[in-house]
Amino acid sequence: MTEEKTKTIDIDEALYRPIYETGRGFYLTVGILLMIILFAAFMYVRQVYYGLGVTGMNQPVTWGFYIVNFVFFIGISHAGTLISAILRLSKAEWRRPITRMAEVITAIVLAIGGLHPIIDLGRPDRVLNIFTAGRLQSPLLWDVTSITAYFTASTVYLYLPMIPDIAKLRDRGGKLTRFYDFLSWGWQGTDHQKKVLNRAINILMVMVIPIAVSVHTVISYIFSMTLQPGWHSTIFGPYFVVGAIFSGIAALLIVMIAFRKVFHLENYLKLIHFQYLSTLLLIMSLLWFYFTFSEYLTGIFGAEPHEMDVILYKFTGPYAIFFWSMVVFNFIIPVIVLSFKKFKTIKGILFASITVVIGMWLERLNIVIPSLANPRMELGSGMYFPSLTEWSLFVGAIAVFVLGYVLFSKFFPIISIWEIEEGREESIKEVEKRVKSYLPGPAETSD
Amino acid sequence: MEIKRRDFLKLLSGASGAVALGTYGCSDIIDVPEKLIELAQKGPGIVTWTNTICGQCSAGCGIKIRRIDGIPVYIKGNPTYPVNRGGMCPSGHSSLEVLFNPDRVKEPLKRIGLKESGKWDSISWNDALQLIADKMIELRNVGKPHQVAFLDGSDQPGLMNKHIAQFMKAYGSPNYYQSGQLKNNTAPYRLLQGINQLPSYDLLNSKYILSFGSNFLEEGYSPIYYTKIYSHLRDSSEHGRTRIVQIDSRISLTAANADLWIPIRPGTYGALALGIAFVLIREKLFDDNFIKNYSFGFNDWTDNKGITHLGFRSNVISNYYPEQVSKITGVPAETILKIARDLGNSRSSVVLGDQGTVDNTNGTFSQMAVHSLNALLGNFGKDGGVYFVDLPPLADLPPFDEDEIAALGNSKKPVAQSLDTNYPLADFSIDSFTKNILNDDPYPIDILFLYKGNPLFKTLNHHDFAETLKKIPLVVSFDPFITETSEYADIILPDHTFLEKWDKFCNTPTVGFTHVGIQQPVIEPLFSTRNAADVIIELSNKIDQSVANALPFQSYENEIRFSVEKLYNSGEGAIISEGVKSSWLEYLQQRGWQIGRYNSFDEFWKLLTRNGGWWNPIRQTKDYKELFKTPSGKFEFYSQNFANIINKLIETTGGESPENREKVLHSLNISVRGDKVFLPHYEAVPIEENMPLYFITFKLLTNRDGQSSNQPMMQEMFGYTVREYWNSWVEINPETAQEYGIEDKKDVWIESPIGSIKVRARLNPGIMKEVVAVPFGLGHTSYGRYAKGYGTNPITILKNKYDMINGNPALQATKVKISLAT
Amino acid sequence: MPKWAMVIDLDKCTGCGDCMAACKLENNVAIVSPEQTEEGRVMFWMDMMSVYDGEYPHVKVKRIPKPCFHCDNPPCIKVCPVHATYINPEGLVGQIYHRCIGCRYCMAACPYTAKVFNWYEPEWAEEFKTCLNPDVSLRMKGVVEKCSFCAHRLQVVKEDADAEDREIMDGEYMPACSESCPADAIYFGDLENRESKVFKLSRSPRAFKELEGLGTEPKVIYLSKRE
Ligand SMILES: Nc1nc2c(c(=O)[nH]1)N[C@H]1C(S)=C(S)[C@@H](COP(=O)(O)OP(=O)(O)OC[C@H]3O[C@@H](n4cnc5c(=O)[nH]c(N)nc54)[C@H](O)[C@@H]3O)O[C@H]1N2
Ligand SMILES: Nc1nc2c(c(=O)[nH]1)N[C@H]1C(S)=C(S)[C@@H](COP(=O)(O)OP(=O)(O)OC[C@H]3O[C@@H](n4cnc5c(=O)[nH]c(N)nc54)[C@H](O)[C@@H]3O)O[C@H]1N2
Ligand code: SF4
Ligand code: SF4
Ligand code: SF4
Ligand code: SF4
Ligand code: SF4
Ligand SMILES: [Mo]
Repeated sequence: MTEEKTKTIDIDEALYRPIYETGRGFYLTVGILLMIILFAAFMYVRQVYYGLGVTGMNQPVTWGFYIVNFVFFIGISHAGTLISAILRLSKAEWRRPITRMAEVITAIVLAIGGLHPIIDLGRPDRVLNIFTAGRLQSPLLWDVTSITAYFTASTVYLYLPMIPDIAKLRDRGGKLTRFYDFLSWGWQGTDHQKKVLNRAINILMVMVIPIAVSVHTVISYIFSMTLQPGWHSTIFGPYFVVGAIFSGIAALLIVMIAFRKVFHLENYLKLIHFQYLSTLLLIMSLLWFYFTFSEYLTGIFGAEPHEMDVILYKFTGPYAIFFWSMVVFNFIIPVIVLSFKKFKTIKGILFASITVVIGMWLERLNIVIPSLANPRMELGSGMYFPSLTEWSLFVGAIAVFVLGYVLFSKFFPIISIWEIEEGREESIKEVEKRVKSYLPGPAETSD
Repeated sequence: MEIKRRDFLKLLSGASGAVALGTYGCSDIIDVPEKLIELAQKGPGIVTWTNTICGQCSAGCGIKIRRIDGIPVYIKGNPTYPVNRGGMCPSGHSSLEVLFNPDRVKEPLKRIGLKESGKWDSISWNDALQLIADKMIELRNVGKPHQVAFLDGSDQPGLMNKHIAQFMKAYGSPNYYQSGQLKNNTAPYRLLQGINQLPSYDLLNSKYILSFGSNFLEEGYSPIYYTKIYSHLRDSSEHGRTRIVQIDSRISLTAANADLWIPIRPGTYGALALGIAFVLIREKLFDDNFIKNYSFGFNDWTDNKGITHLGFRSNVISNYYPEQVSKITGVPAETILKIARDLGNSRSSVVLGDQGTVDNTNGTFSQMAVHSLNALLGNFGKDGGVYFVDLPPLADLPPFDEDEIAALGNSKKPVAQSLDTNYPLADFSIDSFTKNILNDDPYPIDILFLYKGNPLFKTLNHHDFAETLKKIPLVVSFDPFITETSEYADIILPDHTFLEKWDKFCNTPTVGFTHVGIQQPVIEPLFSTRNAADVIIELSNKIDQSVANALPFQSYENEIRFSVEKLYNSGEGAIISEGVKSSWLEYLQQRGWQIGRYNSFDEFWKLLTRNGGWWNPIRQTKDYKELFKTPSGKFEFYSQNFANIINKLIETTGGESPENREKVLHSLNISVRGDKVFLPHYEAVPIEENMPLYFITFKLLTNRDGQSSNQPMMQEMFGYTVREYWNSWVEINPETAQEYGIEDKKDVWIESPIGSIKVRARLNPGIMKEVVAVPFGLGHTSYGRYAKGYGTNPITILKNKYDMINGNPALQATKVKISLAT
Repeated sequence: MPKWAMVIDLDKCTGCGDCMAACKLENNVAIVSPEQTEEGRVMFWMDMMSVYDGEYPHVKVKRIPKPCFHCDNPPCIKVCPVHATYINPEGLVGQIYHRCIGCRYCMAACPYTAKVFNWYEPEWAEEFKTCLNPDVSLRMKGVVEKCSFCAHRLQVVKEDADAEDREIMDGEYMPACSESCPADAIYFGDLENRESKVFKLSRSPRAFKELEGLGTEPKVIYLSKRE
């Protein structure tokens, strides 16, 4: 097969290029990222050695960056699979160039997020106790279960649609042929294989949506299952899911814009994609605001003293800066930018997405810290200043994400080639047919 | 055999399998002596309890030490000990951190190089004692035994003070001082009643307790005793519940637990007391019978020369009407009226002073004013009033013949008292002590012994005191730790800690019954330390037979037995034991106190040491003759004693003449003239007008006079009430803070005329707006790893002022300004 | 089955803090260094709250000692992923230090902020290790701890009672804090025993529980006339 060195210039050659051309920039990026990651790893080992004392956590603020980032990263992970599954399910044709990117985000970020509770453990050496002595009643165990399920489902869901593309890479030959050969599971593109693959994808995409929803609901339960002011809320499930999708879309937009620029994918990722997605972002922003508003309004109306302590801590207290920035970043900026055509440019969208990602991180911060910092008992309010260890692990986690993405894009096409091809070959007809089927046809006479 | 730390811990934890050793990877051999380890190794984990007395403060609570194979591991209150009845304070609970403290002086030390060099060399007990004895012999040989001084920081009227006094007397020096302020604090009672003792207050039977800054639940001489009483008062039914009113510039623990807190400007207690007296007199709420028959100087009176003198009543009525007093004290006139009426109407009611009242330039006069309220209420020898407790029938040390050298030395004027007109009532004045020694007035001091107490950390004018210590050629400290003061010592002869030694405690001031507590070793001495009392016996043997004759005991333990034997022979009271119920007390009273449960002294001693102490639970009612040992035999509003003292002063400084009288009164800084001088009256505290805020200090249960600062548990707990740990703070009223732009938990500078300190601000609505307060006890510059460098010592910015007539440090007489530290 | 409970009479308690010290000493609770206390990482199984009330000069201060409340319906154990905190049939809420993974979820869930965490390996000066209480296990870094109601004392009392073939008497099982309180403000005993002091006091009109509305059913009951 490899003899066939025709080297026909594929029309999607642009998508292969990053895999075969490795510039200095790549090594530089990887090098820098590795250094950051190594430093973070060192800081973590140090933490394990000395104890969690090296963090800025204390009493009563017993949770800090690790849990904030845990919730944040898992939230981002909803970008992917959930969006891609929904778009696939709803047969949105414009999805084709973006599903892969979204799915990769999920897989990487989920792995990072899932590690955070372990980083947060005082006794990571005993993590296996969760299996040997696990208590299913603990929301933490629900988390372990649902995150594992989500991670499994989403990696498979990422992997399956990659098989035809991997086979293409295998067929193109090169040093890594054996690697691609192994990963391609003997894909030949037979009708049967196609049928099986499509069926598998369909099953997964239906499965992955409830799992994803459950994951963030369960994460919200970590908080809402306690009786703590600011946490004990029934709205938390949907609130978290909405927030997660919200931040996920924003993250996806950032990634898309970055790749579009670096790999010159303007031909694939067109303005229309961004506009569609950012409309989705706008809707999520409004939804997010709706939830936030309801959450705090009920709190303020109830005016339960301890609840008010927490709310005031956020509204006018030490966390006011974070709280109001969150509102600006998550609501005011995105709504302004995305409601006006004038601002809804790539740059504008990038800007809004960045503020949303930051805003959603702030939201996680605003949920975790103030409730802990305001114990109900008369113990005075607490304060939390993350330490160097926590900052380096935060930066390290982002570096892992970027590195993961860089490496993925080094080995696999970042846009699903076969799906693009399929789109070209089949969808147009299919869409035409489908659209026709929506439209009123000649009246059918019934018996 | 070398035993590794880990093995040792395993041994200790053998009893319970659940002990997790964690990761103490330390394989060092521990610093705790081998014999202890062996003990633990041999031992099967047997638990024993030993009763002794807590030595963390002069209250002397009874405690029980839990020992496992002889190693103390826990302390609880001795439930049968009458002072504390099983209760304890946090400092008491950290006693094991004294015993096992890593910074203990483990053997005698000799300083190398200059004083304060911090360099020490070990020296054998024998060499050290010989060195000191040689010097002391030399001084005696040249007829200068009086040039030896002994400063004893303990406040306890136990045996040790007698022991030292006997030694000093036999040696030939009049310079033995108890630097605790106890004796000086009795000045008001000397003047008004002619007795040299602090009163106890029968809070238990009182319906209304008016406390003038007497922080009896937190500071005071026995906070735990009073806590027990407080708890009992609160236990009784709502009906007829005792009301407690606390007058203080800040909400102390007592004020927090009182029914009412009345903020007052520092140093003005006397004025308030007299304002209350005004109302009691005007509204005839005083005890007519008592005033008529048992008091002197209430009404204007005429002496045998026919001169009419001003009486208490006229003086109060013309000078202390509530509006006037309100201006001085900051207490509203209505409040004065109200508390006076409550006080007068709710009999029995009692007035407490002593503590916060006395730490000022006008302390004695203030306390006189406060105490005169008790007289107005006729509170003597009465349930719910004031009473004075007998000393236990202990044997005095045997008499001895002082030799000629000693007699000559003893006839010399004590150094701490020679300033002519200053502090006429002072038994001891650190101010005179310091100045006189620095001036060799009237003679130099060659040897100074320091026992208990760390004067350098806690006295005003400590720069001069440090100079004094530098000047004295041989300073010997008995302290078990290296303190700020012993940094200046030449030789340290480490005492045992109180858990390793014999001592005897009796009659904690203000505790309402006669008692004796026996302190005994609960563990063999850990290091090469010796009981200071035994060291003194050894020294006396080394110096001269005539000195040795004064302390004819093999050991201090024997001496204690000797003194306690009289207790046994007296047949009075009882060894403390369980079940001292009121019915039992009645039985005792009927049987005339004889408790025949021991047939010999040995048996008595055995039981005494096993149970921890002895007491006489019944208060002897005293007639007024015993209570008023004044020239008139009555309670003297007009103190003839004081008049005599002043007259004597005038005589010795140039004879009676109006000018001379004026000169003396002026030099004493007394502002009033004529009869008012001898009546309870208010003297304004001289304060710096340019400083806006009063500065006061207070003490906490977690730190006894700075002594507990070397105990990490107490350091961690130090400010548990405000959640400040290992750190000092300054309490500031939120409004004051706002005025100066100060926020909670930010550092501020407190600046007095003599210096500034940086402390963390803690806003607290429970303090007067014109007052700021810093807890006393932290800010050590020595005293071991846990003490040094934590917190701030407020004494460093206190002005050098003293009570005008008894020379007590005026700890609350400094004004300051504050600013945000940036 | 007895149900162990504590009653703290706030009308008698002065806030002296001795319960805090007694508890630290009895239970080998580590001393926290100044650097750590600055960060808010103190270790008091018995903590102290200060409540200020009113405007100057009519200010009231109340100090309230606070152990673990040994809730009958404890939110802390509901969240523990590994059974490292549990409630036993006698109502004691215990910690299994060896199993705890240090997630601090129970701390976050405890409405009473009753738990403390070993941020570092607890340390004692070598000398102080000599006087540790051998009846109470030492904790290691990374685990959560809290007031145990001095459960190790129950062990001893039970053995005594068993040996003598009798029930545990009221007041026989006494935690360290209760034993040394100078105001006798801490009562301890069996809530199921109608004869016990705590049972009677728990029926007092002065009795209240902290955050009763949460349904945690604390077994530390306060008595106070104020409120
Ligand atoms: N916890 C504890 N108790 C102790 C000691 C200890 O170190 N710690 N030491 C013992 C010894 S040696 C002694 S002598 C006694 C002394 O005990 P105290 O004499 O009671 O102690 P002080 O610190 O002088 O002040 C007592 C209270 O009076 C208030 N106060 C002080 N000066 C003024 C003032 O001028 N005006 C007003 N309005 N209020 C004032 C303070 O706020 C404080 O609350 O305590 C003994 N008890
Ligand atoms: N700002 C301010 N200053 C104050 C006060 C205040 O309230 N505020 N209070 C004042 C008062 S009331 C007083 S009494 C003084 C306290 O002044 P001191 O009497 O000097 O203080 P203590 O705490 O009694 O001294 C404790 C020392 O005695 C040692 N010691 C303990 N036990 C023994 C023993 O068995 N043998 C020997 N040889 N040594 C032992 C300890 O190691 C420690 O070094 O401070 C005064 N200074
Ligand atoms: S009051 Fe505290 S320090 Fe003083 S003797 Fe009693 S227990 Fe010891
Ligand atoms: S020991 Fe007793 S009086 Fe002291 S704080 Fe604790 S409960 Fe209150
Ligand atoms: S007080 Fe907190 S730690 Fe204690 S049982 Fe209740 S929830 Fe658990
Ligand atoms: S910190 Fe320990 S006890 Fe608490 S929830 Fe986690 S594993 Fe359980
Ligand atoms: S019951 Fe025991 S463990 Fe709990 S606070 Fe009291 S002394 Fe500490
Ligand atoms: Mo004192």
